[in-house]
Amino acid sequence: IPKGVIHAQASFNNTIVTVTDVWGQVISWSSGPLFAAQIAAGNAIRVVVDQGRQRAEVMIKCPGLGRDATLRTIRRSSILLSFIRDVALMPHNGCRPHKKRCM
Amino acid sequence: MAFSLTSLSKSLSSLLPSQHSLPNLPQNPPNFAPPVSQSDPKSTSIRLSSCLTTPAEETNAITCPSFAYANTLFFKSGHYNVQVVVADNEPEDKLLGRFRRAVFKAGVIQECKRRMFFESSQEKKKRKVREASKRNRRRRPKPKDSAQSKEETSKKDDDEEAGDNWELPEGDLPY
Repeated sequence: IPKGVIHAQASFNNTIVTVTDVWGQVISWSSGPLFAAQIAAGNAIRVVVDQGRQRAEVMIKCPGLGRDATLRTIRRSSILLSFIRDVALMPHNGCRPHKKRCM
Repeated sequence: MAFSLTSLSKSLSSLLPSQHSLPNLPQNPPNFAPPVSQSDPKSTSIRLSSCLTTPAEETNAITCPSFAYANTLFFKSGHYNVQVVVADNEPEDKLLGRFRRAVFKAGVIQECKRRMFFESSQEKKKRKVREASKRNRRRRPKPKDSAQSKEETSKKDDDEEAGDNWELPEGDLPY
């Protein structure tokens, strides 16, 4: 499977890295808290590199701290990147969000 | 469908001549003319996608959501806010910097943080005022200074006139 997509959901508490094929069927995933984003990405990609993945697109969701780390690990592995996309979900003013936290 | 295709082709034709060198120009019009007349969605998608990838090496494709929707018809991906096309030999830090700048320009992270919690109408007003002041400060730093200087000189004149009423006016008498 030469082509594929890497989805990375980087929230403030966790980062989840999922590797799928072009149509969205999941091949492998892994997750890790804040600073373990690199490890999580590494684990997920190792499985796929063995299967012979060459090209990948990266889709990053959510504002979070794991964004840069995942990008770096993907770059350092032998996978070629074709696109990097930001797929953050933006409502066109839909559901009312939670009330503000008082801190 | 056909209308969106024609508008896309026009926008692409306007983009491509600026990026390609001159000898490539005569190739582009014959590519665009037949797809519109044939109105075959698959053939147009293949040609347009190839046109998009060739000038796109080492270029930032920051697309606004309305444009992104048009692209998704061809790329079969979901809706996206920012897209950065990667060349193979690009160094890591440069790529990261480019991605970060693109995201900052699109304002994705700000929007996300804003939408995490509910914002009352008062808070919304405050935020809008802050943003407007930021924007105006960038655009017009000088006129504010000149207005201030004018105010200061007028105040000074008023003080002098108020203090000097007891002295006779200087200069020759009219008669």
